[in-house]
Amino acid sequence: MLTVSVKWQKEVFPKVEIDMSQPPYVFKCQLYDLTGVPPERQKIMVKGGLLKDDADWATLGVKEGQKLMMMGTADEIVKAPEKGPVFMEDLPEEEQVVAVGHSAGLFNLGNTCYMNSTIQCLHSVPELKSALVKYPSERRSDLDQTSHMLTAATRELFNELDKSVKPVAPMQFWMVLRKKYPQFGQLHNGTFMQQDAEECWTQLLYTLSQSLRSPSPSESLDTVKALFGIELVSRIHCQESGEESSETESVYSLKCHISQEVNHLHEGLKHGLKSELEKASPSLGRSAIYLKESRINALPRYLTVQFVRFFWKRESNQKAKILRKVDYPLELDVYDFCSDDLHKKLEAPRQSLRDEESKKLGLKANEKSSGSKDNDVKMTDAEGSSNGSGESSKATSEEGGSSDRESHLTGIYDLVAVLTHKGRSADSGHYVAWVKQENGKWIEFDDDNPIPQREDDITKLSGGGDWHMAYICMYKARAVPM
Amino acid sequence: MAPDPNSASGSGTSKEDTSVKVPSKDPKKKDEKKDEDLSDEDLALKLQLELYVERVQDPDPRLQKVALESMRQEIRTSTSSMTSVPKPLKFLRPHYGILKAYYETMADSDLKKYLADILSVLALTMSAEGERESLKYRLLGLEGDIGSWGHEYVRNLAGECAQEYAKRQSEETSIEDLMELVTQIVAFHMKHNAEPEAVDLLMEVEDLDLLIDHVDKTNFKRTCLYLTSAARYLPGPDDMLVLDIAYMIYLKYEEYSNALQIALFLDNMQYVRQVFTVCDDLLRKKQFCYIVARHGITFELDDEMAADDEDREALQEIINNTKSSEGYLTLARDIEVMEPKSPEDIYKAHLLDGRASAGASVDSARQNLAATFVNAFVNAGFGQDKLMTVPSDSLSGGSSGNWLFKNKEHGKASAAASLGMILLWDVDSGLAQIDKYFHSNDNHVIAGALLGVGIVNCGIKNDCDPALALLADYIDKEDSSIRIGAIMGLGIAYAGSQNEQIRSKLSPILNDAKAPLDVVAFTAISLGLIYVGSCNEEVAQAIIFALMDRSELELQEPLTRFLPLGLGLLYLGKQESVEATAEVSKTFNEKIRKCCDMTLLSCAYAGTGNVLKVQNLLGHCAQHLEKGETHQGPAVLGIAMVAMAEELGLEMAIRSLEHLLQYGEQNIRRAVPVALGLLCISNPKVNVMDTLSRLSHDADSEVAMAAVISLGLIGAGTNNARIAGMLRNLSSYYYKDASLLFCVRIAQGLVHLGKGLLTLNPYHSDRFLLSPTALAGLVTMLHACLDMKAIILGKYHYVLYFLVLAMQPRMLLTVDENLKPLSVPVRVGQAVDVVGQAGRPKTITGFQTHSTPVLLAAGDRAELATEKYIPLSPILEGFVILKENPEYREGH
Repeated sequence: MLTVSVKWQKEVFPKVEIDMSQPPYVFKCQLYDLTGVPPERQKIMVKGGLLKDDADWATLGVKEGQKLMMMGTADEIVKAPEKGPVFMEDLPEEEQVVAVGHSAGLFNLGNTCYMNSTIQCLHSVPELKSALVKYPSERRSDLDQTSHMLTAATRELFNELDKSVKPVAPMQFWMVLRKKYPQFGQLHNGTFMQQDAEECWTQLLYTLSQSLRSPSPSESLDTVKALFGIELVSRIHCQESGEESSETESVYSLKCHISQEVNHLHEGLKHGLKSELEKASPSLGRSAIYLKESRINALPRYLTVQFVRFFWKRESNQKAKILRKVDYPLELDVYDFCSDDLHKKLEAPRQSLRDEESKKLGLKANEKSSGSKDNDVKMTDAEGSSNGSGESSKATSEEGGSSDRESHLTGIYDLVAVLTHKGRSADSGHYVAWVKQENGKWIEFDDDNPIPQREDDITKLSGGGDWHMAYICMYKARAVPM
Repeated sequence: MAPDPNSASGSGTSKEDTSVKVPSKDPKKKDEKKDEDLSDEDLALKLQLELYVERVQDPDPRLQKVALESMRQEIRTSTSSMTSVPKPLKFLRPHYGILKAYYETMADSDLKKYLADILSVLALTMSAEGERESLKYRLLGLEGDIGSWGHEYVRNLAGECAQEYAKRQSEETSIEDLMELVTQIVAFHMKHNAEPEAVDLLMEVEDLDLLIDHVDKTNFKRTCLYLTSAARYLPGPDDMLVLDIAYMIYLKYEEYSNALQIALFLDNMQYVRQVFTVCDDLLRKKQFCYIVARHGITFELDDEMAADDEDREALQEIINNTKSSEGYLTLARDIEVMEPKSPEDIYKAHLLDGRASAGASVDSARQNLAATFVNAFVNAGFGQDKLMTVPSDSLSGGSSGNWLFKNKEHGKASAAASLGMILLWDVDSGLAQIDKYFHSNDNHVIAGALLGVGIVNCGIKNDCDPALALLADYIDKEDSSIRIGAIMGLGIAYAGSQNEQIRSKLSPILNDAKAPLDVVAFTAISLGLIYVGSCNEEVAQAIIFALMDRSELELQEPLTRFLPLGLGLLYLGKQESVEATAEVSKTFNEKIRKCCDMTLLSCAYAGTGNVLKVQNLLGHCAQHLEKGETHQGPAVLGIAMVAMAEELGLEMAIRSLEHLLQYGEQNIRRAVPVALGLLCISNPKVNVMDTLSRLSHDADSEVAMAAVISLGLIGAGTNNARIAGMLRNLSSYYYKDASLLFCVRIAQGLVHLGKGLLTLNPYHSDRFLLSPTALAGLVTMLHACLDMKAIILGKYHYVLYFLVLAMQPRMLLTVDENLKPLSVPVRVGQAVDVVGQAGRPKTITGFQTHSTPVLLAAGDRAELATEKYIPLSPILEGFVILKENPEYREGH
């Protein structure tokens, strides 16, 4: 008989007797009584080895009063969960896109950043995407071959952007674009020249508007027009003769003229809606100055604003740039530019939007007061942002499904994409697209490199230096269901 | 009368220059011109002296004697002024030649010797450079009290002695008379607070042993301080000799703790034993044990060192580090950082709003693995965390299991092993918690559990040898991941132990033709760690054979670099001992020959500061290679390993590395950040931080990765806000690049290592001692970083756990005589170099007063702010036992 002390975890069992004549298994059973660890899970250290169940005590050289150490627990053995986690690395590329949270970048094919940024901005319009998906592969008879090819190429490119994580090379699109608009194929010193992104934007939209028109002649089914078209009603007035006439026109973008007095988008737009023109006056019998004042008669779903930053400078023979800082808001209200008819139409939706907002604010105030004071600011912030993003995605899904009748425009717009230019002239420098994703995060698409950005940084692109400055802004209408 | 030497001793050196140089520069005519402007007093003195000179040449010996005595009187009374040449000396200058000539004609007599004395003094200003006339006449003179002629004279003599000694040494003539004088000079210096001068002279004449007779209670501390600091700049084997003397002196004056530190520095176990044997105070012995334990060596006490069985057990327990977990947790509780932290708390993604990647809905195996490491590093040693040790009775039968299985394949090994890191040093509960993973049916989990057991036991010795008992059976299992887990676990648990039993188990693997390369590589490393710095022949042989057996193809594998490294670790810091093995390595396949050579060289001279070796390594880096050889990486790392020894060399190495960065090839540039990381480990120097920050955006992604990891290393355990900010920005900059993001995460984990309570610095005790096991662990991990993509980003990421060998709490924990924590006020401030300064200069600056336990940053030093206790260790770091001061009076 030997007595030893056994240490198990933090406990020490001082006097455990060993019956030398019995195999160690018996000793383990003794310990089972003390610790509750089943013998097969016990590990007892003796002199640099583990005690085996069938070992001979005599050869082990255990001494009286020796300290033995036992390891082992009665804990449940960890088992692998039946369904292991799915790792991003194992996913096919399409599914990784969802996890990444934004679409892919576009490779620069040699001064094609103007094209890339235009595509990225337009790619962020889901309605345009869905319209393109429906676009038939067969060419319509009234459409020319190149337009059809460009539209099809746009569809393919958008599709590819949605599916990949890695940057996409827009080869096909680039070729077709050059075919359709040879001016983009200009060469300089053997390389393609930088082009004006606005021109690319306008031309592309024009082509799409041609091709995405439904075969029936009715105007209302022109998708591009429905999405981007702005209907202007203008009053043309000649001060000299007192003549007055009015005309309506449809444009795809509002111009923001930049002059000395313009510090804000609002002022610039106001400026852009007024113009002077010289035309022959029938009453005076000579050409006279006419004042043209335009107002918006119908609002688009996506309002495009172009900052008229470039002007032709004869002496340097290039499109020079106005670097003036012009602020633009994240939320734009165009009510002031609307015609009276439209004002009336907007009244009710605006009211309901206001109601909803005040309700939300009220709710929030309540939440804050009810919450304890040490409530983490971060928490409420997070809540707010998740609310916001939830709503926006809800809104898009609704809009996607329903037609105009159920949701009404309010004249209030949210900024969703900015195309910026960095450099001193339109044909040089660098174009970049800054696009708000569906999850509410902003991504800067610098060719093949998408970079996440903060919302604060987006409003800092307003110019006044050599940093990127907004050239085209795209706003999305805030609609209320009624 | 003779000047008061004490008043002049402090600032003697600068004045020496002025008084010696003036005469040699002043042309004689200037002197004559001044003659006319002399005041009456001076004129009288001049005439008087001229008269004496004439009288000296008088045939009457009586007159001669009177003249000589008067002259001597004049000189002596005047030497009190030190700022200019004393007047009598000045006026005697023109007569020096005359007196010299007359001296030659004199017959041998006392008078002649008398004149020799005076000539010796005059030679102080007159003798031409290199003539050493002062010494010559001194030896011919009366050999009276050397100090009577003033300090300046003695200093001059000392200088001439050194020169004369060198000359005689080369001519092999007798030095007896010289040594007698040296003895006198040393005695004088030692008596007059000029210990550095005395030591310098003795070093010049290569007879430091003389010093022991001349030190006394008042000056031995300053003397030893000078000796130990001078040793760093001496070439071997002189440095060993100097430290030997310092050790003797400390022993003589019973400063055993200091003696022990020198013994440890010399890695002389005989001395360590002697310290234990000589000292008979149990409490002091306990303090010795703490010092030995911090150094991380295995040391067995025997009857001679501690006669009483119970005492010996208590002492051995301290050396075995069994209580280090408790001490660390005491510190953690005091600083109130017990609350576990999750990786998200470290990433602080909310500070990067918008930029952080969108809340990933899908788990990324790479990022989960990063989180595993971050969690392990941050919660190291705390025993609790938010991923692995969550109580198993919580929902769904233990979410800990869930986190484990959120890692993929080999990631599970690192996850299971992370449990060992979290429970670091706490063997009892650590083993209990790891136990359940042994029964898993997943080989990776078992491998991780084995490694975890090794990590828990890192630096802890236990009579029952639980790590060996548990791991030994798995070494020869079929699955190679299990084998690696067990082998690496043994290496970590028994680093520095030189355990025969393990060697006999591991050596066969090295020469087993069937063993896969990775198993062989890890075996070599583990043996290197276990036998670190031992120069063990058998292990060296085994590794050499293993290297020779490798096929050409295998030699190109990234893991092969572990074989030479394992070999190198055997000679860590052992300098020349490596030479035989280095010769053998020249016969290796050319693919590995140079790489092996560099690794051996850098390991053998690691921590020595040997400038020649640094130059040698730099030479290798200067070559531009075409054949894609791999030896330059280890060479760059070697520069850091050798130069990290002392501050000055370290700064120079940083500069050299900057040059390499500009002119070096890509393979060199990749190694530079790693080398910088080692040089400034856990010591975030701003200039290095900036360099690394710049490199972290380098176009070459491997340079960037190494820079990012190194940012983590230099900030390891500091919670440095600037580095944390940099890394946070990098995490958003690299959010798309999974590999770089992984590195950023690891670095973030390192910066918050042990929530800022740990350090990776292998140097301790005022940067005097270098823990061999800590350095070995670091070097292993850094060598792995030289090929980041294949090793750390591949499936051997668990090499990061080698860092555990270097982890130590950066604390000062004061304990009372019963080894219970005792809180006392201490001043903590920047350490000041006080070597060679007179009096009792302040050793710290810019201090703040805290109560223990406190954290010590790099370069910090602590001192007690109370007289109530006496610390038993001269260096307040780690565990320090306080004894009550018997002379302390309340309200004093």
